[in-house]
Amino acid sequence: MFPANGGAPSPRLIEALLRVSDAALATLSVDDLLRVLLDRFAEILDTDTAAVLMLDEAAGELVARAAKGIEEEVEQGVRIPVGKGFAGRVAAERRPVVIEDIDHADIFNPILREKGIRSLLGVPLLVEGEVIGVLHVGTLVPRQFTAEDRDLLRLAADRAALAIAHGRAYEAEQQAREEARKALLRLSALQRVSDAALAYLPLDDLLGELLDRIAEILRTDTAAILMLDEHAGELVARAAKGIEEEVEAGVRIPLGKGFAGRIAAERRPVVIDDVDHADILNPILRDKGIRSLLGVPLLVEGRVIGVLHVGTLRPRQFTAGDRDLLRLAADRAALAIENARMFEQQRIVDALQRTLMPDPLPAPPGLELAARFVPSAVGGTIGGDWYDVFPLNGGRVALVVGDVMGRGVSAATLMAQLRTATRAYALEGHRPGDVLEQLNRLIEPLRPTTLTTMVYVVLDPERESATIVSAGHIPPLLVSGEGKAGYVAVEGDPPLGVSRVATYHEHEVAVPAGAMLVLVTDGAVEVRGEPLDVGLERLRVMAEQERDVARLCSAVARGDATRGPSEDDLAILAARVAYLPDRFHSSWPADAEALGGLRHVLRRWLLRLGAGPDEVYDITVAVQEASANAVEHAYSVGAAAFDVEAMHNRGVVTIMVRDRGHWRPPRGEHRGRGLPIMEALMESVEVERGETGTTILMRRTLGGAAA
Amino acid sequence: MTTMATVRGETRGDVSVARVEGEIDAANVLEVGARIRSLVTNRSMRLVIDLSQVTYLDSAGINVIFAIGEELRSHQQTLDLVVAEGSPIARMLAITSLDRAHLTHPSLADAIAGD
Repeated sequence: MFPANGGAPSPRLIEALLRVSDAALATLSVDDLLRVLLDRFAEILDTDTAAVLMLDEAAGELVARAAKGIEEEVEQGVRIPVGKGFAGRVAAERRPVVIEDIDHADIFNPILREKGIRSLLGVPLLVEGEVIGVLHVGTLVPRQFTAEDRDLLRLAADRAALAIAHGRAYEAEQQAREEARKALLRLSALQRVSDAALAYLPLDDLLGELLDRIAEILRTDTAAILMLDEHAGELVARAAKGIEEEVEAGVRIPLGKGFAGRIAAERRPVVIDDVDHADILNPILRDKGIRSLLGVPLLVEGRVIGVLHVGTLRPRQFTAGDRDLLRLAADRAALAIENARMFEQQRIVDALQRTLMPDPLPAPPGLELAARFVPSAVGGTIGGDWYDVFPLNGGRVALVVGDVMGRGVSAATLMAQLRTATRAYALEGHRPGDVLEQLNRLIEPLRPTTLTTMVYVVLDPERESATIVSAGHIPPLLVSGEGKAGYVAVEGDPPLGVSRVATYHEHEVAVPAGAMLVLVTDGAVEVRGEPLDVGLERLRVMAEQERDVARLCSAVARGDATRGPSEDDLAILAARVAYLPDRFHSSWPADAEALGGLRHVLRRWLLRLGAGPDEVYDITVAVQEASANAVEHAYSVGAAAFDVEAMHNRGVVTIMVRDRGHWRPPRGEHRGRGLPIMEALMESVEVERGETGTTILMRRTLGGAAA
Repeated sequence: MTTMATVRGETRGDVSVARVEGEIDAANVLEVGARIRSLVTNRSMRLVIDLSQVTYLDSAGINVIFAIGEELRSHQQTLDLVVAEGSPIARMLAITSLDRAHLTHPSLADAIAGD
């Protein structure tokens, strides 16, 4: 870099050094830098032209890259073979070459002559000893280039070579950056596939969105998802982009058959370069003109749940990179689908549960009822626990608690069927044992893969007794009016669907006024790693201390019997037969539906007073006739109420029925029998019609002469 | 508390039989009445309503039986009733004189035999 002749560097050389080391140059692009360098050296060396030619190694030629004074060189893309002419010699000989008179030299490039250049000085551009090009300067007047000129030009050449090398490195870096950017794009594409927000879309929307994104990332014309129907052993087109017909036509592909079937059966990616030479089952793929296909299995915890495939209308060789990307997308997609599926299942199950739980509970008079259902605290899918309460003939009430083991939609659906069937059989009038036998026969062809247990209780508050039938379920807890609690010894008949010939035995227990029955599923008491008996004992002790049905159910729902929130679903149903005092007052909606309830309370009350069957019947009918009047007098259906007050004093029963409407003369042909009936059945009947309503007062002596 | 009663129908020759079980009151009398009427065909000469399994009957039910009886009469058909002797239901028929409007029998067999 320094003058070859030694001694102190000249002021020109120092200036040149300063000007080519200028930090500002570092920020320029290669072309701009070359232009600036050529300008500055032409000035420092006082030459008319300057040019840079780059070596095209593959062609063995020099190519004009930058020029000053002879811009045509670059514009015309002059190429000079290495070894030929002036520049070719510089490159070939890797040393400076001087031409003092162009007329006597071997010049390849005609532009130099045409421009009238007389003298030339050229030096090679070297990077780590390798020639990468040539830099030369020329004058329009003959000139003798000095050694200093040569050194200065070398300096410029080194700077230019460095800049070019940097520029190349920069370009390489840019390219690397671009690669990185693309990789990042793919990564973000994947993130778009696994976008958590997708999980909250309905499954169909989710799948459509996933396919759009996958087709975009892989630049394919089609994309499709087939879901595995495990029962049928078939893949069912569920979502498609570009081949929407697949879904519309409900295409089903047997496992192992065709393209998608093979992917699912072999649990690995399959590539088809040319559809014409492949075993394709689905005609739609061919009809659509798809040429190439790539498919991967959708796996969740190693289990195939479906197939994801993409296709192109032009032949394409899918690369290993494409395959890996699709696989990755499939993994994310499978997870998203599974999440969405669980989310959707959850909604279905929630809806089923909400629809099926009787809320509010029917409130039969003289009976205190409470129930709770709590979905499990862990897991996320609901199982098949249920409870049900419904009225039967004769003031009796059916109490049901059951548990379809297993989770998700299938458990919930079976539960729903059983719940409905229980009601249907019970209301048809089957005995409790028959109801369970019918259910057992019903469930058998459904081939439940899980166990179903249930306890069915018909509570008769009038007779203060209950009939209990259990299909392998936790026995009911009976709490006496005095607060002693114990599980009813029920013979354990088999769970439902286990044995076609199972018989279900009925157990009668006394449920005196004040006593309470508590039915639960195992989730209410069971703690993992602990014998069931321990939990049952906890519940028994709780029931002895907390005798209010609602508070007991709340405590169990809270997890008090499982020492913390239950890990399983839990259902609890508690029913208490209420005491009826000597004198009671009750209010009823002015609705024919209320009559049945009133009748049964009255019967219970009269039976407790020791009334005979005929007396019970007569008094009940008389009160009903009075109440039916009250219902008819009501201003509007359902909007009003009537009151019944019943008193017992020394064998005399007095009942007052009061409404807040106006007495109406009987209407219609077959009306007006009510009052004569009352008068025939009771010792005295007084009707008082006032502005604010009608009061009927009736009296009858028990044990006396029948009417 | 609907469906407190069930009505089962059968045909014995030209006799239609309606066997009612449960309780009949204002809440379900329309259903019960409609079900009984549906059992009568053009070929029936006679309808027997078997009330022996009825545990509750008040004026609502009595009225509907009266009405059905009149409908049948207008078609030259007859209505017979079955009630257990000495039962509360029998007493209700007596109080309302329904037992004088229609033949009553102590059992279904008697009613079909026409005794």
